[in-house]
Amino acid sequence: MSSIREALADSPNPLQLDGIEFVEYATSKPQALGQVLEVMGFRPVARHRSREVLLYRQGDMNVIVNAHEPPGETPCISAIALRVRDAASAYQKVIAKGGWAVPTKVEVMELNIPAIHGVGSSRIYFVDRYTEFSIYDVDFVPIPTVDQKPPALAGMHWFGVVQYVGLDRINDWIEFYGELFGFQVTPAETHFGVLHAGRILRSPCGKFFVQLIEPLPDLPDDESPERFERVGIGAADIPAAMTELRQRGVTFVDSHGTGSEARGAITETWLGGVWFELVHDAR
Amino acid sequence: MTQPPIDVSDFGMDTISMSGSLATKLQAIRDGGFSQVMLSARDVAGHDGGLEAAAKLVRDSGLRVSGFQVLRDFEGLSGHLHDYKIDVAKSMLEMCKAVGSKLLLVCSSTSTHATTDLDAMARDLRKLAMLALPLGIKVAFEGLSWGRTVNEFPQAWDLVCRADAPNLGLALDSFHAFATKTPLEELEDLDPDRIFFVQLADFMWQEIRSVEERITTARHFRVFPGEGVHSEQLAHFVTALDRLGYRGDYSFEVFNDDYQQMQPITVAQRAWRSAVWLQDGVLRRSVPLPGQMRLKSRG
Repeated sequence: MSSIREALADSPNPLQLDGIEFVEYATSKPQALGQVLEVMGFRPVARHRSREVLLYRQGDMNVIVNAHEPPGETPCISAIALRVRDAASAYQKVIAKGGWAVPTKVEVMELNIPAIHGVGSSRIYFVDRYTEFSIYDVDFVPIPTVDQKPPALAGMHWFGVVQYVGLDRINDWIEFYGELFGFQVTPAETHFGVLHAGRILRSPCGKFFVQLIEPLPDLPDDESPERFERVGIGAADIPAAMTELRQRGVTFVDSHGTGSEARGAITETWLGGVWFELVHDAR
Repeated sequence: MTQPPIDVSDFGMDTISMSGSLATKLQAIRDGGFSQVMLSARDVAGHDGGLEAAAKLVRDSGLRVSGFQVLRDFEGLSGHLHDYKIDVAKSMLEMCKAVGSKLLLVCSSTSTHATTDLDAMARDLRKLAMLALPLGIKVAFEGLSWGRTVNEFPQAWDLVCRADAPNLGLALDSFHAFATKTPLEELEDLDPDRIFFVQLADFMWQEIRSVEERITTARHFRVFPGEGVHSEQLAHFVTALDRLGYRGDYSFEVFNDDYQQMQPITVAQRAWRSAVWLQDGVLRRSVPLPGQMRLKSRG
């Protein structure tokens, strides 16, 4: 019996991770963030049954905008939900290895989605209902007349998430993601897109990345708290994606003719802290 | 009080060395000329205004918190005992973070309920390190000289290596090393980057004949370095660590019943003389060596 358990524990993908189910932003200005998301090609598709929470979607990307007990005006990435084979099992495994359980507060007939504490004040959820039916079928009410499956602009999809870490904290977080989820650190020279910094971790399912970035050495810790900083969105043809987004009003940080558009692009910053990174990804 | 002329910023005091409220202790440590403090969970748990008020008091003192102590009898338990200790650990980690400490001190288990299986103990320490990690806290593991399985620093080091987490390291306490007469040459086998904390204390007699006497001495009769009978060994201990490349914090872990009956500032002044002896007389640093980067903003 124990040998079977050992074999499972040593599996390269111990939680049977299968990509990102949703990214959640928390803000007291949900409409302002909603406008930003719409400019980026997302569509509001459903409302939460009991809270001030909206679901935006394009293609396979779900974004939840949570204005229920927000920390402030500037939107922050408050949670990431990971698709797993069995949410209860994944949650128990991660708790057994030192994850912090988040006590859930669910209303009647709502789903109890297990979560652990992530970086800063964020949470990491485990979701196993994403094929035949979804978590949104239970907790959300579709907005009438709206296409529930709006296609993605230029084939855009989740590429990963960028996490800011404290000084000398890269190795700590490499260990955290490796121990709890089975992430593998990529070689130091591995970089994607146009912003080359920090270290990149590959999810055991190979479907997304976590990039860890340290602060500049002279910055006091308190001024740059650890957090999920931005999401990375993959697209097979970055110039085409940029053209479509520009038509919708998105401006990009100038690449000064370096020809880097083939690799990726950085959007403008909205609402004092929301920006997106486009990364070339043929998927 | 004017700032004393010698900078002893590598050395700090443990609050357990003096009596009084948290405010009284912080004031005495600061007035004694120190800039860092090792806090005890009891200071915070027993504070009248609660955790937030205690944390504010610590912040307002301007003292840098070098660590928070102490999680006991943690590793090697199973079933409900393990779950219970995990809850205790989480509570301590939350307090540790609240008071601005980036280091939690854990001492080796004395529990007869704990297994002696080193792999199981290492697994528990690794789990503790993972719990501490998102909070930005390092875990320093110390071999208590009456620990059940780990009672000397080389064993503690072995367990830290087995557990192998970047935020898990070793805490050394000169008292325990002297009490078990562990050869100080063993210090040379340590990785200075994985020594997270060093506590210094001496005691007044040469021989400790039993484990019971060791416990009694450790809890009631310690003195500051330079006040006991092991000054030469202490000098050796500190210079060996310095030569090894250790540049972290030193703190005086002096449990002494007499000091509990003296004015805190008097105790702090004794600690100050000890720091000066070590800084000026032993390490001969006219200017302190640069320690680890300390970027925490005060105020």
